[in-house]
Amino acid sequence: MSDLSRDTAPAIEVRDLRKLYDQKAAVDGLTLSVPRGCFFGFLGPNGAGKTTTIKMLMGLAPPTSGSIHLLGLPMPEQGLAIKRQIGLVPDESLLFDHLTGGEFIEFVGRIYGLERTVARERSLELLNLFELGNASRKLIAEYSKGMRKRVAMAAALIHRPQLFLMDEPFEGVDAVGARLMKDILLEQVRHGATIFLTSHVLEVVERLCDRVAIINEGKLVQEGSMDELRGSSQTLEDAFVRAVGVGASRENLDWL
Amino acid sequence: MLSFAPWAWALRARTSIGCDHLMNQARAILWAQWRSQRNFFPRRGIGWTAMVGLIWYGFWIAAAFAVMLLTSSPLSTSLSGVFLLVFLYWQVVPVLMAASGASLDLRKLQAYPIPVSQLFWLEAMLRITVAIEVVLILTGAGIGIVRNPTLHAWHALGLLPFAAFNLVLGVGTRDTIARVLARRRIREAAFFLLILCAALPQIVFTRGQVSADRLRALMARMSWAGWPWTATADFLQGHAQLRALAILAAWLAAAGLFSYWQFRRTMLFDVDAASARASGRSALSQFVEEFIERFFRLPSLLLGDPLGALVEKDVRFLTRSPRFRLVFLMGFTFGLLIWLPIALGRQGTSQSFLGSNYLTVVSMYSLILLSEACFWNFFGFDRSAAQLYFLAPVAFSRVMIGKNLSALFFIVLEIGMITLVCGLLGMPLHPRTLAESFSVAAVISVFMLAAGNQLSLRQPRPMNPAASFRSGASGRVQAILFVIWPIAFVPVGLAYLARYAFDSEAAFFGVLAVDAAIGAIVYKLSLDSAVAVAEQLKEQIVTALSRGEGPITA
Repeated sequence: MSDLSRDTAPAIEVRDLRKLYDQKAAVDGLTLSVPRGCFFGFLGPNGAGKTTTIKMLMGLAPPTSGSIHLLGLPMPEQGLAIKRQIGLVPDESLLFDHLTGGEFIEFVGRIYGLERTVARERSLELLNLFELGNASRKLIAEYSKGMRKRVAMAAALIHRPQLFLMDEPFEGVDAVGARLMKDILLEQVRHGATIFLTSHVLEVVERLCDRVAIINEGKLVQEGSMDELRGSSQTLEDAFVRAVGVGASRENLDWL
Repeated sequence: MLSFAPWAWALRARTSIGCDHLMNQARAILWAQWRSQRNFFPRRGIGWTAMVGLIWYGFWIAAAFAVMLLTSSPLSTSLSGVFLLVFLYWQVVPVLMAASGASLDLRKLQAYPIPVSQLFWLEAMLRITVAIEVVLILTGAGIGIVRNPTLHAWHALGLLPFAAFNLVLGVGTRDTIARVLARRRIREAAFFLLILCAALPQIVFTRGQVSADRLRALMARMSWAGWPWTATADFLQGHAQLRALAILAAWLAAAGLFSYWQFRRTMLFDVDAASARASGRSALSQFVEEFIERFFRLPSLLLGDPLGALVEKDVRFLTRSPRFRLVFLMGFTFGLLIWLPIALGRQGTSQSFLGSNYLTVVSMYSLILLSEACFWNFFGFDRSAAQLYFLAPVAFSRVMIGKNLSALFFIVLEIGMITLVCGLLGMPLHPRTLAESFSVAAVISVFMLAAGNQLSLRQPRPMNPAASFRSGASGRVQAILFVIWPIAFVPVGLAYLARYAFDSEAAFFGVLAVDAAIGAIVYKLSLDSAVAVAEQLKEQIVTALSRGEGPITA
């Protein structure tokens, strides 16, 4: 692929992606295209295959079949070149608990090729930006869930990536922190970055995302712009419940 | 609107992967690890770790000094045997102890743009942590060669390719075994194959009709010039050095190719997919599941709740933990096959101590393997439940007793399995032998539980029960065993002394009974103290157990 076509290729292009765990499909024939500069929400109920999909996009789990192109480059063949251009807010278990927040951000900066002094400088700036300056000497192990998410997002920003892959970035974050994170993400999109996030907080997705996809039992059940998805429903929540179906009845549980 | 002015940096990170960049990444990983260690260690009992480390490594420094003295004077025999032992210690002991040393946390590092080759070389360097002991021995040998008046100082350089060969091969061995053990369907079969490979030489030597001459011939073949340990010895001693160097280079290249191939496969390996359960249920799997369910319910048949529920939960959890399953399996397979040929001798009827106390010896080996999960670190093994124990409306003493009963459940089961396999192999199983092995295990277990209740609370270390191969450095584990096991064996040792002195079984079992009574008192005191410690340290315990690691897991 030439540089020009690579620059105009969708930020994420996934074709017939499958991931089997002992013959059971966690992701089943997912085809998806996320245009550049888009704020994309990837929704689904628990166990729908969201995290598995994002893991495959991050290169943390190999797909059973199908193809993944990120920023016009094939994954995993061009894994290194892709990883250099993406920012990850992964599952929080991927943080290094024995480092302080500042040390972790600096470490990530250096891994992405920043000079040590630059990485250190930026890590301090990011800590202040995410209002973690007061906790700079605390270990990540001692952080609350929301603080862990903030430090993960700060680390994802340190090398100014073109594409962000975020797994539940707002989980456990307080209202002020969430507002701050949303502002930063919107700013990134305005600068041309693409954001792909999973979230259970539908109000946040509704307010931030241009396009949304809903996955259920590994299959894509709906995809489109926010208006297309809402259709006749008033809210995204209604559309979501309609797309994935309602849960089990509680009628038989008299004691509850 | 939020301004990015304070950190308006250059928009793109560097994209070229120069040598500098690779070195910077390596430095960043090592730096992060150093910071993790520095941040973590002052908050734990570093004194205790330092003490056992000093004793253990002091012993090996003394051994290295002896090797230095040996090699600094004119050598009349080949050093091939020494380097063969070094090779076995480096490659085989980690398998026997199911301990792979410190290693990169690839699960975390894979998310970043780090080339596989970079991670491979770092991982190879980390293989030093598997066998710091033999690195000391090699250093001793190197200094000895430099001081040897009949050899040139540069001969010591022959140790470098040998060490590099072991480091690189260690990556391949570890990755191959770890991947095989992570595969749900083939791990058990692969494990038994591994056992047979480990036991075959001993069985051939001790049970086969191998005459002394043939054995000598075989040993001579073991020192065949083409082996890396023989080539190292030849180079160091100045024999056919060019040939020796070529042989070492060939072994190093072969090990490098094999290990890099295995490492790349590990990078692409999906643990979740390999260990996933089948979605369909055949009649056989349904029968097995029902049988296992009955097994899980066993403790609840004997114990009322909440103790029954606590023990049942532990039985379920440990049975499903790949790490625990591995050491449990090793107890009655590796243990039997490794000790059996030695115990029987070539005639098959050895009257040695090992031969007449075979069942007890194997039981003790299995206790050592089970000790981390059952005694020393039971909360670390069960870290996700630790917080629940402090929240549940159950007296903490009940929780500790529950943990101890689960440990005893598995110990009895393990020794039962050993006895069963011994019976199947046609080993003589007198009631006295059975009584002896169970009584000795019981007495040692009581003392171990008393010590373990303290250690599990005072030194909780988060463990990954899903990792078949423990990451912790084997040296550290051996250090623990080196200090604590001899103390725990003293009461039992006194019983054996009584049997020897009075030539009486009654004296033996009498002393064991006294030991058991003392053990019970020690256990009660330890339990009361542990409950107080738990109340006092619960915040630190939960924090310590909820921690992850740095980029390198140790």
